[in-house]
Amino acid sequence: MRFGASTFIWESPFGDDKLHLAQRVASLGFDTLEICIEDPARVSADAVRRAAVDAGVTIAVCGAFGPNRDVSHEESSRRRLGIDYLKTCIDLAAAVGAPNVIGPMYSATGKTRLLPDSEREQQRTWAADSLREVGQYAAARGVGLAIEPLNRFETDLVNTVEQGLDLCGRIGLDNVGLLLDTFHMNIEEKSIPGAITAAGTRLRHFHACENDRGAPGSGHVEWDDVFAALAGTGYDGLVVIESFTPEIKEIARAVSTWRPVAQSGDALARDGLAFLKQKVLAQA
Amino acid sequence: MTRYRYAYNALVYYGEDIADSIDRVARLGYDAIEVVGEPAELDPKRIKRLTDDAGITVSSICSIYTPERDLAHPDPAVRANAVQYVKDVADFAATMGAPTIIVHPTACMKTQPLAAPEDERRWAVEGIRAAGEYAAPLEVNLSLECWNRYETYFMNRLEQAASLWREVGLSNGGIQGDTFHMSLEEASIPDAFRQYGALLQHVHLADSNRAAPGAGHLDFLPILQALIDVGYSGYLSFELLPASADPFGAMKAGGQEAFFDQYTEQAIRHMKEVESRLQEAA
Repeated sequence: MRFGASTFIWESPFGDDKLHLAQRVASLGFDTLEICIEDPARVSADAVRRAAVDAGVTIAVCGAFGPNRDVSHEESSRRRLGIDYLKTCIDLAAAVGAPNVIGPMYSATGKTRLLPDSEREQQRTWAADSLREVGQYAAARGVGLAIEPLNRFETDLVNTVEQGLDLCGRIGLDNVGLLLDTFHMNIEEKSIPGAITAAGTRLRHFHACENDRGAPGSGHVEWDDVFAALAGTGYDGLVVIESFTPEIKEIARAVSTWRPVAQSGDALARDGLAFLKQKVLAQA
Repeated sequence: MTRYRYAYNALVYYGEDIADSIDRVARLGYDAIEVVGEPAELDPKRIKRLTDDAGITVSSICSIYTPERDLAHPDPAVRANAVQYVKDVADFAATMGAPTIIVHPTACMKTQPLAAPEDERRWAVEGIRAAGEYAAPLEVNLSLECWNRYETYFMNRLEQAASLWREVGLSNGGIQGDTFHMSLEEASIPDAFRQYGALLQHVHLADSNRAAPGAGHLDFLPILQALIDVGYSGYLSFELLPASADPFGAMKAGGQEAFFDQYTEQAIRHMKEVESRLQEAA
């Protein structure tokens, strides 16, 4: 099993000027740096590829979805902006050798509205139609999509694995699957291992986060059960630690992190990785 | 062996006459009902009569903290309104013989401070103290409740509530955990209850997904064991809400029938099973 760390642990927004993080995660023992593409203009494929090669890590590419990148918006022009943004991320992923573009790509994050069933159904159709186009574009470049359910306070569209699988089914492409995150699953799933098992071969990416977004192992997520379920699905993708630095106000606000959940980003990443590696060894 | 008294929070019975709510919880074996803190909309004398007739009590008042009821607001008029609200809720509780009113220092869903943290904290302490001193002769206790990070930036963990409560310095009341919020915020729910158990005034129970215990993944056995071990003797009150960032909007929109008979019955049954398992183990 290969492990990664998200740039959000230390920095936001990510850009070429933050590529020292490749060396940082390598020295902490990670195989992969997961970069978040908040602003594509800040990121060039050549610089990312070079930094990754120099540090000896691979790259995962995560999207960030604001109101102007909303593939299920009622206005087609807004949906088009979302589709175009995702294609930019796919081009980057293909250029840096990332297997997937990942994230909650079906809507603008933070949109939590109550919609009548008919409007919700229309929104799902728009999401599926947009992501089918994006998925086909990705397939032609050897890239997959890993769609992330978020908890109820961050989105109204896809909160559970069941809803995520429904969206995958509507999209209907082999290179489109799910990213599951233990922080969100802790809130939404009746059983976290059950949800992982239900995702099965649709699972393309995994975020290992504690229930309070602290280092894995410092909270109450039942990691033995999580890894047993991952092994049961035959998952051989990345396990990435995602947390958000409370030192940058914009990102802290976006994910409602009001206090440090570890002494530092380095401590969170180092302690979390040591714990996860020990759990994987125990499984073997 | 402790035998806990159970309450169900009528908050989720949105739009229903309180008489029907009281009838339901009494019929399903509850000791008490938790009443929504809207003194202008509910008649406490009628609720007192209805609960007496049904053979149950009012465990607590679930106060509703709106932007106009913000104890830590920079505008003194808003703070005065908030303090008056808590006093009104104390009167409301006293009329029904309810021992506990729930307090949170800021508005629900407020996730950005409006002033410097030290100012907000001072205003919160002053407001809670003033309302608590008013409530004391009424034999009403304040319960400082923590909410999860998406509902407030101010107080997410028992540790923070304990610190605030000690600074307020009242003797009528304490702090409150809600297992749904704690499942997001505490490293261990039982450990948090053990650590701050001496200060506990009230407890809200819900499963990890805010549905009835048994519908999510929390193990209530070690949670109940911790409450017993610290000598908690208050009510266990179920606060269950729909899976939405706007649970009250979701109730208004309908389609949440499970929160009425089904979860009311399931919640108390699940916890009594947990109590029986603890009793057998003892």
